[in-house]
This record gives sequence, structure tokens and C-alpha cells, in this order.
Amino acid sequence: MKSKILKIVISILLLVSIVLIYVVKTYNKPHLDTKNSKTDFTITAQKFINEYLQDEISADKKYAEKLIQVKGKIYNISTLKGDGVITLKFPGLESSIICYLLPEDNSKALTLKKGQLISIKGICKGYLLDINMVKCVFVE
Amino acid sequence: MKKRYIIIFVLLVISQTKAQDKFFTKTGYVSFYSHSLVEDIKADNNQSLSIIDTKTGKIAIKILMRSFMFKKALMQEHFNENYIESHKFPKAAFSGIINNYEDLDDKITKTEITGTLKIHGKEKEIVIKTNVVITNSKIVLSGNFNVEVADFDIKIPSIVSKNIAKTIKITFELNHEPYK
Repeated sequence: MKSKILKIVISILLLVSIVLIYVVKTYNKPHLDTKNSKTDFTITAQKFINEYLQDEISADKKYAEKLIQVKGKIYNISTLKGDGVITLKFPGLESSIICYLLPEDNSKALTLKKGQLISIKGICKGYLLDINMVKCVFVE
Repeated sequence: MKKRYIIIFVLLVISQTKAQDKFFTKTGYVSFYSHSLVEDIKADNNQSLSIIDTKTGKIAIKILMRSFMFKKALMQEHFNENYIESHKFPKAAFSGIINNYEDLDDKITKTEITGTLKIHGKEKEIVIKTNVVITNSKIVLSGNFNVEVADFDIKIPSIVSKNIAKTIKITFELNHEPYK
């Protein structure tokens, strides 16, 4: 009889701890790791900007919150609050793609030049005159 | 009569060389803060778009809701998917007018911005207290104000209602530069 109660208590404790671990893990779920996660779309700057200019709503449905790898020419290199910002542009298109870098890739930004062709990946946040990408890292 | 024309001409030239018509920023800072007994939640947005028409003092701001960065990924997910519904309402917008615009200068001055705030597809007239500094190369607006979650038809499930404040504090700092 005693061993039966003990078994029940142990199994309840086990169940509670599994649920607790799950809850804590979900609550502390990490942010998307752009460097090591799988890219959802690989696209050229020209096509990316054009899709947003043609139909912002459907482009948003396709790309927002997704990990995008973009290939394009550097139009500008700047900083915001100490972190690098790379702007990609395509000749003839008014909008650009503004890529806010992760701090770990700041030093790489210093080695780049305007006009250089690069591949960069980050999370697409949508369109405000330009396409905004955050947590960006360079792709070799 | 001739004199009057000269004065008008001079005034026109001065007003045109004084500054460009538009000042703007694409990297405006806007954050919100929710305080409750259970937890404090803060999210930052460094990609706010703001444009000021220097002829009239009119201001227009647009913000991508997805660009609010939270400490916890789960909170960011809930904010976008369940509360703000970024897939339906990706942007917040404000349009208004800076009061006493023509009296402002390079000294920090307190004034108000009157306008319409649109979040989650719902509009609300508000008056925002702000500090303003205006120079030839910069217009800086900074301050904070409160919004009521209920005003914007944002539904918070009862299970987490203790975790999220009914009144959210918004802090902003917008450094506008001349539009090239």
C-alpha cells in the first residue's frame, strides 16, 4: 500500500516538473539566431525592392519576420547607437534596403566600401519608404 | 510702393534660404513600457520614420510594429501575433501639428503636439507634451506620454491581464535632419 502511494507521488512530481521545465523553456525561448538559422528566401536587392514597391501587402505576407538573404550593392555605410547600418540600393529604384547589423558584425562593416557587391542576411520587418532588416550578418 | 516690393522680395529670399521645407528621420527612437506587479515589459524601436514640414509645423510619424524589440522572444511573438496583430495592422501612425511652431528655437522648449494616433487600426485624438529644439540642421523632439490599451481595441487574455498594464508609457526621441 505504502509503495503504491509513493509511486503515485513520484509520478505526480515527475509530471509537474516536466510541465514546469516546459513552461520555463517556452517563457525563456531565445530570439532567432540569424547567423545559424536556415534562410527562408535568397533574393537580389533589385527583386526584393521591386516586390515591395509593386505590392507591399503581399510582399509583407511573404517576407515579414522571415530570414532573408539579400545580394546587392552597398549604397551607404553608417552607424546607429554604435552598431553598423548598411544600405543596399539598386540604380533607378527610389527605395533602399536598410540593414541593421548585429554588434558582432560591426568590425566587418569597417572593411567594406560603397559600391561593393555583398550578401547579407537578416530578419525582414517590413516597409517604411525602405525595406527594414534587423539582426543582420554578412554572408561569405 | 517700390519699397514694399523690395521688402517682400527680401523676406522671400530669407525664408527660402533659412531652411529646407522638410526635416526627417528614419531612425527615430520610440519605446513602450508596461509596469505591473507581476513583471515589467519594455520594447524598443529604433527605426521610426518621422517627417516635419517646417513651413507649417505639421508632423507625420510611421512605425513598424514588428520592429519593436523585446528582451523575451515569446513576448515579442505574443505582441505581434495576438495583441497588435501585425499581420493585419503592420504600422502605427501619428499625424499632427506642433503647437507654437513658429516661436520655437534652439533653446529647449516645452510645447504640445496635437494630432491623431492610429494603432491596431483604431484612431484616437491625443495631445502629446514634448521638448523641442530647433536649429538650422536639426529638429529634436523628445518626451513621453501614456496611452490606454483599451482605446485601441487591443484584447489581452484574462490569464495574462495581471502581467500587462492598462496604461502604457510611450517614450520618444526623434532627431530630424534636413531632407536632402
